[in-house]
Amino acid sequence: MPPVPRPLPTIVHLDADAFFVSCELALKPELRGTKCAVGGRERGIISSASYEARACGVYTPMPTQRALKVCPDLVMLPHTSGLYSKVSRQMFDLCETLTPIVQRNSIDEGYLDLGPCGVASAEELERRVRVLQRRIWDELQIPASFGLATNKLVSQIASKLRKPRGFVIVPPGTEEEFLAPLALGKLPGIGAKTEAALAANHGLKLVRHLTARGDNELQAIFGDSWRDVLATARGQDDRPVETERDDAKSYSQQETFFTDISDFTEIERIAKRMVDELLPSIRADGKRVRTMTIKVRYPDFTQESHGRSLETATDLEAPFYPLVEPLLRAAWKKRRPLRLVSVRFSGVDDGAAQLEMFAQLDEKRRRLAGVLDKLNASRRDAVVQHGHQLAKRRGVS
Amino acid sequence: MKFKINRDHFANGLAQVLNVVGSKATMPILSNVLIEAEKDQISLTTTNLDLGIRCKIKAEVKETGSVTLPVKRLAGIVRELPNVDVTLDAAPNHQVKLTSGGSTFRIMGIGKEEFPPLPEFGDEKAHALEQSELATMLKSVAYAQSSDETRYILNGVYFNFKDGKLSLVATDGRRLALIAKEMEIPADGSGAIILPAKTVGELTRLLDKGAKVKINFNDRRAAFQIATDKDTSGLIDHVYLYSKVVEGNYPNYQQVIPKETHQRIKLERELLLQCVHRAALVCSEKSNSVKIKLSSNLLEITAQSPDFGEAHESMAIGYSGPDLQVAFNPTFIMDPLRALAKDEVFFEVKDEVSPGVFKTLENFVCVIMPVRLS
Repeated sequence: MPPVPRPLPTIVHLDADAFFVSCELALKPELRGTKCAVGGRERGIISSASYEARACGVYTPMPTQRALKVCPDLVMLPHTSGLYSKVSRQMFDLCETLTPIVQRNSIDEGYLDLGPCGVASAEELERRVRVLQRRIWDELQIPASFGLATNKLVSQIASKLRKPRGFVIVPPGTEEEFLAPLALGKLPGIGAKTEAALAANHGLKLVRHLTARGDNELQAIFGDSWRDVLATARGQDDRPVETERDDAKSYSQQETFFTDISDFTEIERIAKRMVDELLPSIRADGKRVRTMTIKVRYPDFTQESHGRSLETATDLEAPFYPLVEPLLRAAWKKRRPLRLVSVRFSGVDDGAAQLEMFAQLDEKRRRLAGVLDKLNASRRDAVVQHGHQLAKRRGVS
Repeated sequence: MKFKINRDHFANGLAQVLNVVGSKATMPILSNVLIEAEKDQISLTTTNLDLGIRCKIKAEVKETGSVTLPVKRLAGIVRELPNVDVTLDAAPNHQVKLTSGGSTFRIMGIGKEEFPPLPEFGDEKAHALEQSELATMLKSVAYAQSSDETRYILNGVYFNFKDGKLSLVATDGRRLALIAKEMEIPADGSGAIILPAKTVGELTRLLDKGAKVKINFNDRRAAFQIATDKDTSGLIDHVYLYSKVVEGNYPNYQQVIPKETHQRIKLERELLLQCVHRAALVCSEKSNSVKIKLSSNLLEITAQSPDFGEAHESMAIGYSGPDLQVAFNPTFIMDPLRALAKDEVFFEVKDEVSPGVFKTLENFVCVIMPVRLS
């Protein structure tokens, strides 16, 4: 059944351009226009590259060493932990000034539904989304591309079409026409291998090639899923923009090191910093966690992990600090340096909290944490840190 | 060593010491009972190094001496022996022959030399109490001890002999029970100990044997001499219970007992217990709380779990204060109600984040922290 045509393309897909790099450039504007990328140096991979670097053949995920070969003047920026999720939150907060129906798909990409916002005309709709695009740039210095269509499928393809700073509107009723000239690989679910196979075996290169085939033929090519493939190719999609996110089952963070580290206190400091960075998000979600697991990975990619649970779930850092050292010792048994360490919190609890008697200290800590969380959330660079985070500076600054 | 003994007396004596054994892996001798025969009695001793118990039973001793035997199996055998007359005969190689009627058992024992002796007490602080009174006091607070090993300071009952009274306190950090009794405390007798939970359990079990119990303690250990003058099944003199104490500073419990009374209600203990018990039947591990709602002359108890259902109970009470509601873990309400004997209790509440307090007219206080409803 064809979807009920909407009078306005109210489904908006937002896709931030080279998000990690853009976050870094916002802090270091002098690097704008240069070939730069965010990623681990030495053995790491590129996780985000500027469009200038992409022009030289740098892509994600590409091993850093290879990227430096194809683009020797590439400026490598290390990951700034905590920065991207903070900017992402601010970006989606701006989206929510436009409509309450915002689906955060990932850190740098999501859907907005302006359907219930009472927008009268396509012009007004376009104006509002352009204002959002400008605000995200003005306030956060993050370039973002937008696709506007009647459904999620088409808006998502549209936003990726003219990056960076794209703004593509697909008027209602023109979805099939819009997709027809595109390469099949633009459709979700058709990866590079499938794309190549379809071209080689069946002569299918563009979306219109596919929609031109008969049902029997499509069934022979795609099997049972042929109807879905055809619907996608015609730009049909009725998935709603969903604001409800599934509750997190765990919170985790990991870091691959610049060079392998064999210094125990340094690793301990990194793990504690992860504790400091994860708990604020746990508090922000109104949750408590009970179990902490530390995982270590050796240079040969073998890994080991160890976890321990508190008697009761907590939303404070302090009860977990004493576990960091013993867990790290329990996990890091081989006398070899580490390539990666990760901290994971599970046993997520959001039920009613049993109050404690001798917990004046906890209450003080909770108040302090609340103040710190507020301070750190209002600024783009963390302003208050725990002392153990200052122990030793590492890596490129 | 050789003696003749009444089977039921022997079984009763073994039952007194049976619970205290050490882990077999580290010191096998700790799973044994030390049997010593002298004059017209035998003494039975067990220990796990932290805790030890010794009792004495009358027997017809033909040859003095000693041996140790695995206590659990020995107790199992003695209980089942066919004849009331039992003879125990230990050879110098520690092999024991146990005969009763037509039954004969040969049991391999271990010599006394390896058995760690129970420390005897000298000039420590000493107090005497009625056994029944101490038993009641322990029952009034013991449920509030913590079983969380990371809070080992709370894994016991705090005995505080001070200012003309003995106070017993137990808390797990979420509730606290306190009972006090006035008694004469000589200047050199004041002091405090934390008696470990396991010892509290053993002591409570033993406190029905006679009139008096004597307590001796210092900073590191405590001993109880429990008179056996009421026991007619062979025990003589007293049962001696020795224990290490939990070392450390007990938290300042006075600070968590609310000083002011806000809303005080008088409640029928049994009735409240039944209502909370019924309401709690719908609780689950994830939503383990009951809500207490007070309004004019009415107390309502509600509980719910999202995947099961809800319960509502109401009780007529005398109450004219403001409407208020507060939620608690139902166990925290039921435990003190079960431990008390009086028909009426007082319950004091203030608001949804302040503790609830049970009181009786007998120097009993139980403070319970609420559950914050999200």
